[in-house]
Amino acid sequence: MELQLDSPIAKPGLRRRTRWYFWGLLFLIPEIVIFFIFLWVPIAKGVAYSFYNVDFVSGNSFVGLQNYSEVLSNPDFYTAIKNTLVYMGLALLIGFWVPIAMAIAVSELKWFQGPARIVGYLPSIIPAIVLYGMWQWFYDPVGPINTFLNFIGLESFDFYSKEHAVFSLIILETWQNFGSATLIYIAGLAAIPRDLYEASELDGAGVWARIRYVTLPSLKNLILLLLVLQVIATSQAFQSQLLMFGGGPDNATLTYLLLTTREAFTYFNFGKASAMGVIMFVVLVLFSILTIKIRKGGEEA
Amino acid sequence: MKSAQERAIMSRYDFRKSGVKVVYAFMVACIVLISLSMLYPFVNTFLNSLKSTQEFFAFPAPFFPSKFLWGNYKESLTYLNIGLHFKNTILIFAGNTFFSLTFLGLAAFSLSHLRVPIKKWITLYFLSTLLIPAASYLIPNFLNLKDLGLLNSYWAYWLPAGANAFYLLLLKNFFDGIHKELFESARIDGASEFRCFLGIAVPLSAPILITLVLLGFSTTWNDFYWSSLVMQEDKLPLAGAIYTKIIYPGSTINWNVRFAILSMTLLPPLALFLFFQKYIISGLSLGAVKG
Repeated sequence: MELQLDSPIAKPGLRRRTRWYFWGLLFLIPEIVIFFIFLWVPIAKGVAYSFYNVDFVSGNSFVGLQNYSEVLSNPDFYTAIKNTLVYMGLALLIGFWVPIAMAIAVSELKWFQGPARIVGYLPSIIPAIVLYGMWQWFYDPVGPINTFLNFIGLESFDFYSKEHAVFSLIILETWQNFGSATLIYIAGLAAIPRDLYEASELDGAGVWARIRYVTLPSLKNLILLLLVLQVIATSQAFQSQLLMFGGGPDNATLTYLLLTTREAFTYFNFGKASAMGVIMFVVLVLFSILTIKIRKGGEEA
Repeated sequence: MKSAQERAIMSRYDFRKSGVKVVYAFMVACIVLISLSMLYPFVNTFLNSLKSTQEFFAFPAPFFPSKFLWGNYKESLTYLNIGLHFKNTILIFAGNTFFSLTFLGLAAFSLSHLRVPIKKWITLYFLSTLLIPAASYLIPNFLNLKDLGLLNSYWAYWLPAGANAFYLLLLKNFFDGIHKELFESARIDGASEFRCFLGIAVPLSAPILITLVLLGFSTTWNDFYWSSLVMQEDKLPLAGAIYTKIIYPGSTINWNVRFAILSMTLLPPLALFLFFQKYIISGLSLGAVKG
């Protein structure tokens, strides 16, 4: 709260009021302008363009809901939604528990805890482009993984086939991302009071029981938070799909956002792409509101 | 962090049970395996960049190259003018840092320590953008930059860098923690608000600023897709250039040369990470607060 000794309300007058607010406004104006031009205008334009046929040469023309009906009647649209959901589900199933387990394991280490933390985080600092370059080779039919499989007498595994493509992506993404989540969980684990373990051990709880009834409930909020973040992040995934597989084979890795960018930058249907953006916006905002509601409801209960 | 004598989930007593010992040994083995699988790609990438093509495809492939062929690095320069693209990346990064931190810093300072009318609404104007997923306005953002005539210019990075509600929130939270009395006494001594910002708020928030600079660096260094849309040819930053010229699906450039380029791209973020570990990791937990 401000001190109200020299309130502008007591001595009205535009000049006084401007002087009173001068510095505050001066510092804010650049950002107000930047946010307007580079965030609010694009957001508004996105909604507007979704009703237009965007044409750089002969100008934009209003087409009403045509973009939306074209998007909804495109079979690829449903493939992309299905792929995105499958990808999100698999990422949760395969990737989500790994950091929790890893964090618990690492914080139980008696020696080399520091290095164990850092090593897990190393893949996260690899620039995405380097990551894909590396894994293109690891997944190559003659790359190290298949060489190793052949070496121990197994058959080669085709990472690029239609059935395996999503799976290959999940391994790659889990490998890269689990380190940062692990570090967040480790910080959460460090905040759990040791007395709880002491007390439950005296009450006769075994190690598993302690993890199940002390550790995991204490991490509940953090787990929920990272769950929501992961769902939001994976729903927008498209870069690894683009670089590793180009959306193929046979649209097996075509995600929603990849289809959006394809509409825009391959077919130059900017209107349709904007319409897809609006649909995504509505769904994700609804999801955010829903999770906030659920979390609030959970706290009250 | 936890000190050595403090107990964790398991106590010393637990270790007397043989079942626990076995599970613990298994766990340690898993961690070691995972650690190795984390390190292997780094080492492999670097060593592969020094192999000859025959050695690269030899079966079974040797782990170490028989001769260190530094010539691969020289050859990689014929595919990609790394110096030029490196310069572009640094230019983008420097401009981004300057614009985003200066203007966001001023705005955050104003919101937390200065008199602002309808403060609540202005804060909402900034922070509500956090709820809007960036992917949903990817396309209109591109069209907007095109309409403004900013495509293929560094301004297409520098100006939008300021529109970052996440950074604003972090800075504001940090400034909120600085005592108001510091500024009051400075004002009584005749300092202008700008002096207060530059002389008190900025030095006190050095840790968060360093974290944000590092975050900005990794964002710029990582971004290949957006830059490949916005910039062209000689103005591309390194990641964008590698994407369009070296690692597109179906690229035919020799693997060892590719790996030489990747190794070089990997080095700066790796070095920065090892130097600034503390700040990067603190930035990470900040990222978790975002939701």
